[in-house]
Amino acid sequence: MDDTATVDLVRELVLRLLSSGGRSSTASNNSDAAVRYALRLLSSRMSPSVIPDELSLVESIKRRLAVSGRSSSALGFADLHSKLSARAPLLNRWALLYLLNSLSLDRHRPESSPAPGLPFLPLHLPHPPRTSASSIAGGMAGGGVFLVAKDPENIREIALREYADLFMEDNEVSESALVRDVLYACQGIDGRYVRFDRSTDGYDMPESLKVPKPTRSIVRRLCELGWLFRKVRGYISEGIVDRQFDIGTVGQAFCSSLQDELVDYYKLLTVLTSQSANPIPSAGSDSGGGAGNYLSLRRLAVWLAEPTVRMRLMAVLVDVCGELRGGAMAGAIHSHAQHGNPLVQEFMGRLLRRVCSPLFEMVRIWVLEGELEDVFAEFFILSQPVKAESLWREGYQIQSSMLPSFISPLLAQRILRTGKSINFLRVCCEDNGWVEASGEAVAHVGATTQRGGLGYGDTNALEALVVEAAKRIDRHLMDVIHKRYRFKDHCLAIKRYLLLGQGDFVKYLMDIVGPELSEPANTISSFQLAGLLETAIRASNAQYDDREILDRLKVRMMEHGDGDRGWDVFSLEYDARVPLDTVFTALNMKRYLKIFNFLWKLKRVEHALTGLWKTVKPNYINSCIFANESFGVKMQFVSVLRRLQVLWNEMNHFVTNFQYYIMFEVLEVSWAHFSDGMNSSKDLDDLLAAHDKYLYSILEKSLLGEGSQSINKTLFVLFDHILRFRSLADRWFEHIHELQHRRNKSKSKSKGELGKVGSLIDGGRKALLQFSRDFFGKMSEELDKVAKEYSAALHDFISQLPLQQHIDLKFLLFRLDFTEYYSRVSSNK
Amino acid sequence: MEATDGQIAKETLELAFQISNMLETGLDRHTLSLLIALIDRGINPEPLSAVVRELSSPSSRTQPSFAFSSSAKP
Repeated sequence: MDDTATVDLVRELVLRLLSSGGRSSTASNNSDAAVRYALRLLSSRMSPSVIPDELSLVESIKRRLAVSGRSSSALGFADLHSKLSARAPLLNRWALLYLLNSLSLDRHRPESSPAPGLPFLPLHLPHPPRTSASSIAGGMAGGGVFLVAKDPENIREIALREYADLFMEDNEVSESALVRDVLYACQGIDGRYVRFDRSTDGYDMPESLKVPKPTRSIVRRLCELGWLFRKVRGYISEGIVDRQFDIGTVGQAFCSSLQDELVDYYKLLTVLTSQSANPIPSAGSDSGGGAGNYLSLRRLAVWLAEPTVRMRLMAVLVDVCGELRGGAMAGAIHSHAQHGNPLVQEFMGRLLRRVCSPLFEMVRIWVLEGELEDVFAEFFILSQPVKAESLWREGYQIQSSMLPSFISPLLAQRILRTGKSINFLRVCCEDNGWVEASGEAVAHVGATTQRGGLGYGDTNALEALVVEAAKRIDRHLMDVIHKRYRFKDHCLAIKRYLLLGQGDFVKYLMDIVGPELSEPANTISSFQLAGLLETAIRASNAQYDDREILDRLKVRMMEHGDGDRGWDVFSLEYDARVPLDTVFTALNMKRYLKIFNFLWKLKRVEHALTGLWKTVKPNYINSCIFANESFGVKMQFVSVLRRLQVLWNEMNHFVTNFQYYIMFEVLEVSWAHFSDGMNSSKDLDDLLAAHDKYLYSILEKSLLGEGSQSINKTLFVLFDHILRFRSLADRWFEHIHELQHRRNKSKSKSKGELGKVGSLIDGGRKALLQFSRDFFGKMSEELDKVAKEYSAALHDFISQLPLQQHIDLKFLLFRLDFTEYYSRVSSNK
Repeated sequence: MEATDGQIAKETLELAFQISNMLETGLDRHTLSLLIALIDRGINPEPLSAVVRELSSPSSRTQPSFAFSSSAKP
């Protein structure tokens, strides 16, 4: 296409350019090469990419000038252009302007700084295969492939594209596929690349997959959520399907609340899944985030942060609750709710409110109606089927393993007692007045009697309800026990009859029953004794007592072995019926029996001694015995009698003081304490405790407790001595009286008649002297023996007394030994 | 009207030179006249500007490309 003129022109241009470029003089072959090159360029038919529109070009030039701050030049250019178009209409003005414009742009381009931050400048890239990216600005790669890269700012784009290619090469799998897989993993499903590995117990991608390390670690971190989710879901399905009847209502509530939390989680996952369908902008392109909400791995990490925290909480709870049930489960969950993070607190609050609702319901029903609606044995109150009399003590118990930690043991005791009272009233007392009491309690507290009125956070409300209900029901129970069943009266009756409080009755009974009881035990009939009991009652003040009470008093014969006398097997008993037998249980009645036996024995000894006094007291009758005899006999008799009286006095001193101690220090004092306890007790537990204390103190103080076994034995030995003494003395006096009687008879006879009985009288006197000497000698010997044994036993008793624990026994010691006679004697020995 | 033609040409050149100065292309009159002549002959301005760019720029960029082009296959 080039004709010589053009070629010449070109040559000249080239020469000019080269020389004007300021370079050192080049060789001619250089310039030739340059010319050849120029020609080649020109013949390549490179054409501009814009339509040859002069006016628009002018406009763009003007704009460029104005924008770059040279608006005066813009005006000047417009002026020049108009002149030019007027001057040279034939000129290819567009081409000229285009040329000038491109040259000016080019001149300006290198002045601006190159695009910063690109790691790859095409200038330094030696990679031969990267033909597309290298040395593109000049467009001079050999082979004639040119890009229309007018502006070197493409460097940045080129760099990005290169980075994208590198990135693509590293990843076998696209990021969106990974995101989808992670989302599947979060729902527990295996994806194409991410699978659940049972050996490592986690989600992972196979090693063979070529994925860069950061991506691998991100994926692993996100799949932790999937692992947690698997755990929680496993527990829920197990709880609802497999152990349906095992897990109990609390467990079911827990599972259902977990499921509700998971519903929220599923919703989030659905949204994320729909977002993941948007294409992720590849690493090289520059969409700027405006092309829809795409989901990359990092964005997914941000979205899943909060659900991970919640899922972790749930998984921890699932672990903790593994095998627990009922109240224990609630307590375990509650202990994990003590957390500072408000998110955690709110979550746990929601959960606990639902989990504890069955428990609270059970408490409410128990406290207000006494019913135990516990099919799965989750409640902390256990019931056992027992007979009516042990309903209070053993019918219901607290099972502390099921007691949740937010209910204190004190509150649990109150709850137990309230329900127990209602049941007690219902069963034992056949009373229905507690219904109003419950109603009042509820109205007072303001809680509803409907289901679900109480929730987890309302422990205070629960406590208030329980306290109110307890107060009222207890009051009602006490009313019933005291008024309808006259508990106090019965206690008093027991005291009067079993504990020998009614003195005249006891005396009559002993007088009447005494001779009977001296027989061997197997010859006594209890019917007869019952009749005698009736007689005694009628003879004393007891007849004015309440018939109902007297009906309950009966005679009881205990089992007897051989050789037992009636005294050993006789006892009285009091028949306490439901509901009072809660207090007067079989064990308690046994204790009463023990005390009765002891007191009866004591009374018998006292009775014996007082009976003896009737015979030995120094009155006129006794002084008349042997009054007319010789001095020796009388002296002997008097001395023996004296010694007898002294010994009697000693025994009497002991028995009287002991009796006094028992009567006043033990029985009356304990009764006073018990009365106070009865009046101040607010509920049946208190009453039972007061009564037990009463009995226990009596047993302790009267030396019947376990710690006093040895001294008890000593005491009974003493009693035996006294009784033997009595019988001995009785026998002696029988003899003496018989002797006296015979003597008098013989004397009177001798006065009347002589002869026949004269020799008898004479012989009689001598015989009498001899006899009396023998008799009195023997008597004094025996008396000495008895005295010695008695004083030994008494010393034993007194020495053992200070060893006793109870402080009141010191008073007994004081009474017995107030002159310290015994202690001095014993220390002198 | 040759005088006017010459005059016209001179004025045209003058105007073009002023425009070129305004646009700061760095060309002088002689080069500009050559370019105008070439354009008049119908050569496309694009390769022309490429030529000018390549050959007139004193940066090192042209050096290796220069060498490159010399060793490039035709």
